[in-house]
Amino acid sequence: PSHSPQTPPLPSPNPPAAAQRSSRKEAKMVKFLKPGKAVILLQGRYAGKKAVIVRVFEEGTRDRPYGHCLVAGLAKYPKKVIRKDSAKKTAKKSRVKVFLKLVNFTHLMPTRYTLDVDLKEVASGAPDSLTSKDKKVGAAKAAKAKLEERFKTGKNRWFFTKLRF
Amino acid sequence: IQTLAQLTPPPRRHPRAEAAADAATSPRGATMVTSTKKTKKSGDNINNKLQLVMKSGKYTLGYKTVLRTLRNSKAKLVILANNCPPLRKSEIEYYAMLAKITVHHYHGNNVDLGTACGKYFRVCCLSIIDPGDSDIINATPAGQ
Repeated sequence: PSHSPQTPPLPSPNPPAAAQRSSRKEAKMVKFLKPGKAVILLQGRYAGKKAVIVRVFEEGTRDRPYGHCLVAGLAKYPKKVIRKDSAKKTAKKSRVKVFLKLVNFTHLMPTRYTLDVDLKEVASGAPDSLTSKDKKVGAAKAAKAKLEERFKTGKNRWFFTKLRF
Repeated sequence: IQTLAQLTPPPRRHPRAEAAADAATSPRGATMVTSTKKTKKSGDNINNKLQLVMKSGKYTLGYKTVLRTLRNSKAKLVILANNCPPLRKSEIEYYAMLAKITVHHYHGNNVDLGTACGKYFRVCCLSIIDPGDSDIINATPAGQ
């Protein structure tokens, strides 16, 4: 009477051992709504605008008992800059207007693009930085600076082009 | 449940399905009477597996919950009916691509899929969270 096997022999394709299932689960399933993901807003005033997820509240908070995230998006996209523009004009055209918003996941369309922009100060002040007006403006300014400098490097071009619809 | 098993592949012969069925079953040589889906065998298999999932596993039916399970990566397999509107179909496929979850295109419309789930309503898309005793996840890995 050998009592060696740990898990009782069961039909192989679906081993019900919890550890195995969780490891298979992790191998198979990928969370994609993470900070840095580029998303498109679907509802609200900023519908159709692109944004980047700054901070995720998976299980929600007491005020918002649903999964939501803080996004930093482009309220106004930078205009198209051409080579003949003077430096002053280029500077003017490259300006962006940024919004910060707490958005429900169902009102976002995730994309395959990411934008690894360092928005740590914006993220850390997250839930309360959106309550008072001046904190919000401060956070938006910080995000604006970061996004503008990213646009000037010419990377993530998709993010800074307006979605045509 | 016995009657459900007999009821599952409704013998609706669509010319395209017929052509596909003929192409698929001709090398077999077996005399399949009414092969409406791709091959009668695999059509049955999906239905049986779905039945087992309904009995023993966890699943959600319907577009909103399918998106929700895709978003929080709880879904293991997503099944779409063939008359799912193309925008919705591509949206679910896109989410599944991001989350690396397989999508299975069921050979039947939402009425058939609802019947296969043992429900009396139409089901356009469903997501399987926990297959229970069924091996539906392994059996359709490349089931696009």
